[in-house]
Amino acid sequence: MSGDTSAAAASSAADHDGVVGPGTPLLEVRDLAVEFRTPEGNVRAVDGLSYRVAAGRTLAVVGESGSGKSVSSLAVMGLLPDTARVTHGEVLLAGEDLLSLSRREHRRRCGERIAMVFQDALAALNPVHTVGYQLTEALRRRRGMSRRDAGRRAVELLDLVGVPNARGRVKDYPHQFSGGMRQRVMIATALALDPDVLIADEPTTALDVTVQAQVLRLLAEIQAERRMGLVLITHDLGVVAGMADDVTVMYAGRVVERAPVRDTFGAPAHPYTRALLHSIPSSGAGGDGEGRRLPVIPGRPPSPAALPTGCAFHPRCDTARDVCRTDPPPLEAVAVDRASACHFAAEVLASHDVPPPVEHEEAAHD
Amino acid sequence: MTEHVLEVRDLVKHFPVRRGLLRRTVGTVKAVDGVSFGLDRGRTLGLVGESGSGKSTLARVLVGIETPTSGQVLLDGQDVARLSRAGRKQLRRDVQMVFQDPYTALNPRMSVGEIVGEPFAIHRVRPPGGRAAAVGELLELVGLDPGHVSRYPHQFSGGQRQRIGIARALALRPRILVCDEPVSALDVSVQGQVVNLLQDLQDELGLSYLFVAHDLGVVRHIAHEVAVMYLGRVVERGPSGAVYDGALHPYTQALLSAAPVPDPSVRLAGPSAADAPGGGAIVLEGDPPSPTDPPAGCPFHTRCWLAPLLGGGRRIPEPCAATRPALEPPRADGGHRTATHDDGEQHGHEHARDEHTGGGPAHLAACHFARPLPAPERVGS
Ligand SMILES: Nc1ncnc2c1ncn2[C@@H]1O[C@H](COP(=O)(O)OP(=O)(O)OP(=O)(O)O)[C@@H](O)[C@H]1O
Ligand SMILES: Nc1ncnc2c1ncn2[C@@H]1O[C@H](COP(=O)(O)OP(=O)(O)O)[C@@H](O)[C@H]1O
Ligand code: SF4
Ligand code: SF4
Ligand SMILES: [Mg+2]
Ligand SMILES: [Mg+2]
Repeated sequence: MSGDTSAAAASSAADHDGVVGPGTPLLEVRDLAVEFRTPEGNVRAVDGLSYRVAAGRTLAVVGESGSGKSVSSLAVMGLLPDTARVTHGEVLLAGEDLLSLSRREHRRRCGERIAMVFQDALAALNPVHTVGYQLTEALRRRRGMSRRDAGRRAVELLDLVGVPNARGRVKDYPHQFSGGMRQRVMIATALALDPDVLIADEPTTALDVTVQAQVLRLLAEIQAERRMGLVLITHDLGVVAGMADDVTVMYAGRVVERAPVRDTFGAPAHPYTRALLHSIPSSGAGGDGEGRRLPVIPGRPPSPAALPTGCAFHPRCDTARDVCRTDPPPLEAVAVDRASACHFAAEVLASHDVPPPVEHEEAAHD
Repeated sequence: MTEHVLEVRDLVKHFPVRRGLLRRTVGTVKAVDGVSFGLDRGRTLGLVGESGSGKSTLARVLVGIETPTSGQVLLDGQDVARLSRAGRKQLRRDVQMVFQDPYTALNPRMSVGEIVGEPFAIHRVRPPGGRAAAVGELLELVGLDPGHVSRYPHQFSGGQRQRIGIARALALRPRILVCDEPVSALDVSVQGQVVNLLQDLQDELGLSYLFVAHDLGVVRHIAHEVAVMYLGRVVERGPSGAVYDGALHPYTQALLSAAPVPDPSVRLAGPSAADAPGGGAIVLEGDPPSPTDPPAGCPFHTRCWLAPLLGGGRRIPEPCAATRPALEPPRADGGHRTATHDDGEQHGHEHARDEHTGGGPAHLAACHFARPLPAPERVGS
């Protein structure tokens, strides 16, 4: 990729846990912590999250519901609700810490350079305005475009994201679009101001596999074309495998593993990642309803209000030993470009314990 | 001849579309438009298809929430519509439903004991040993602590709530469970727990399942047979292994290839996707057509990726646009089959075909050119 710049960028930021991805980081999150005020006291929803996204790269942030994926992106965007507070960390956009700015200034900076696509497009789009209005509003306000130019651009954008009959559809309201088309409209809105970084929070979770494939392909094409940095938040490891270059796995508000995608899927370095990979029912591997039991992770993710002591994953971990119940494992480098927060990371990595290889479509070709 | 526990023949469910003050009928949503299948004791039929293809509507007709527009539902060979009042009541006990959303399916004001025990009250059934004991046993059966009977739904996780829903569905000892997306709202790590529970219960109680899901992986895992729906019809049906490993219908092939697999060498998108093994995903263009106005001929022809290839790149073959293909075994040579003309009255035909296939369940597809996926270089591009 962008060879020469990456070396400089890497050395400037190499201090944090020794994991460096290639490319210039456009957006970098350092040691972010977010707390909510609740009736039961302060609850830490995100604790020590770090990641960086480079131009033209896709970073997947994976975790189960409640692991802090959405809260962390809202913090990056300056969109946290009033009950939440960033208690620690930095969000660096081209080197500038957005968290040191006023909230208004923070949002303005993001508006220009970082865009976000939400899971529920219907809720995120304004139901009382036409799609065309929502696309042109930002262009006119922020770019000072004339009504006509903005209108033309809106049609171009809808065209770009593959909405058929874009010229006719700018006058429609969000509810008049199907789920997949609405998600495309969201993406068009996000692209309006030509962002450097796109954060997509579960962009296809509500969609059918066929429509999901369309939307993911669209995202990948646009990203490659504009060399955007893409942060793809998802709980679907299939989507991660198919789209991302790097992956950050979160559990209970913390990063438990970080690595290039190929490496993690080939040999996970954390028992949680390993268990997640094992628990995916595959439509490729054999199976006919007879007798096979799915490997499961016992128990359930903890509530951030009642985190287990030591390693938060220990009550569900198949590798846990005494030390896990008392000492929280730090996130440490385990290999080139890889970090894991497990006392026995080296052992887990060395065991190369991965699910049986997935058969893909070849099976159907012969 | 063995009778199916549950059989569906040419089932149709249409909804009127009403507009305006006078609520005039301006059209018909053909939510389910001629579906036939049989389900045996202790077996699972998986039902997959895009959103709006009619899966939930079919499920709701089977449990009696909706009445069919036409067609038959047979329980142990008996036509449900002809049952006496007592017979119909028995039906409601025999066929129970598990819903998708464990967050809204349970009444938040009722305790777990009340929720699970409610079917006894509704059906005025006194279980042997009393209701409290029966509720305790049910909770035990689905892996919940019987000591939690007086807790409320919000005190449970999604997976546990789904177990509560299953316990309730099992209260009246049904023989058939219709599960509509029972694990879709759950985290991956918890999905497996519920799927395993359903499999254990099947082994223990000999239950039959109709299992609706959009996750093809989960369906492959649990189902003995799979039916693929498109616009209210079954376009492919067969033993799971056969359908997953040798899909015959272009729609099923697209569905399977679009499902993301946890293997980084299979790119979903981007420049490398085309070089990936399997030639990358077959991405269908556009949304499914409206079930109010399904396309003539083959209902899939507006999105079919195969038809334009067969027609030499530009035009699709004449039969695709003109004639609705019947659900039947593929021709051995994979060539064009003769088919009945689309007179809208061929539901019975599909069924008749089905009866002929003695022995195990046959592998059927509703495509004039049904055949295993051709070589990858012909796909996409
Ligand atoms: N009561 C109703 N009145 C009118 N149309 C209906 C009604 N119920 C369902 N439909 C329509 O029937 C079609 C099939 O709906 P159904 O809910 O069965 O789809 P589904 O396959 O379960 O989809 P999903 O995967 O989204 O759950 C849809 O077009 C739907 O809008
Ligand atoms: N407004 C809020 N008030 C209190 N807690 C919240 C709020 N929003 C989110 N949380 C909590 O923060 C944690 C992380 O949530 P979130 O980032 O939404 O998870 P996800 O990884 O599913 O996106 C969860 O435990 C959630 O319950
Ligand atoms: S630190 Fe211990 S409990 Fe935590 S993941 Fe590693 S082995 Fe498991
Ligand atoms: S009949 Fe024609 S249009 Fe329909 S699925 Fe087969 S090839 Fe495609
Ligand atoms: Mg979220
Ligand atoms: Mg449904």
